[in-house]
Amino acid sequence: MQFQMEMVSRDTVVVRLYGELDHHAVEQIRSKISAAIFQGAVSTVIWNLGGLSFMDSSGVGLVLGRMRELEAVAGRTILLNPSPTMRKVFQFSGLGPWMLDATEEEAIERVRGIVNG
Amino acid sequence: MDNEMTLTFLAISENEGLARIAVTGFIAQLDPTIDELSEFKTVVSEAVSNAIIHGYEEDGRGVITVRAQRVDDVVTVSVMDKGVGIEDVSQAMEPLFTTKSEMERSGMGFTIMDSFSDQLTVMSKWREGTTVTFSKKFYSVRTAVM
Repeated sequence: MQFQMEMVSRDTVVVRLYGELDHHAVEQIRSKISAAIFQGAVSTVIWNLGGLSFMDSSGVGLVLGRMRELEAVAGRTILLNPSPTMRKVFQFSGLGPWMLDATEEEAIERVRGIVNG
Repeated sequence: MDNEMTLTFLAISENEGLARIAVTGFIAQLDPTIDELSEFKTVVSEAVSNAIIHGYEEDGRGVITVRAQRVDDVVTVSVMDKGVGIEDVSQAMEPLFTTKSEMERSGMGFTIMDSFSDQLTVMSKWREGTTVTFSKKFYSVRTAVM
């Protein structure tokens, strides 16, 4: 399990996940992602799932957990590039509205637009 | 042609991937579509993760047996543990119900298993273990082309 985090602005982080996101993988990466969110002034997390070959409900738990951490700052979550199966898993779990059919750049632009507009 | 496979492994999270790979290999001969394959892998992953996290509470000592059977184009998989069991199966199967919210379990495992398989049965006895059995008919790529 590999992941990358990039601060694309003062309050927005892009998390790119690679490989298979299951319970085992989530246990390896959760605290690192969580720490990064708490360290900065992050209020928006953009999850790019395009590099994932597999995800089960552990991925839902990972996203929901970070959403809870962002609640205090009225944070925002965006899910990019889920596979058709992941799309269904997010829909079952009530996370459908957070999926965005856009590229990373478009998602970042959209977040900026909301902040400025 | 029918087929059968039994895989027994230690209930540690490293083996969640092993179980998925084994079942993926087992159903490869049916030429499943990419979506059929990824949905079935998800079901396997949910069942095995449940056995590790809930059945054995990650004690690192329990053993899980995955048994797969194929009759024509229907695959049936059982995931068996001899762990703690489920006190109330129907409650456990409710969407979003989880006993491990502090571990960020979403409570969606059984909903996903149910949605991504044709048939799902859960047999459990308190302090004796749980067997989750699911089956799915595969509409192979080959058949679709013909």
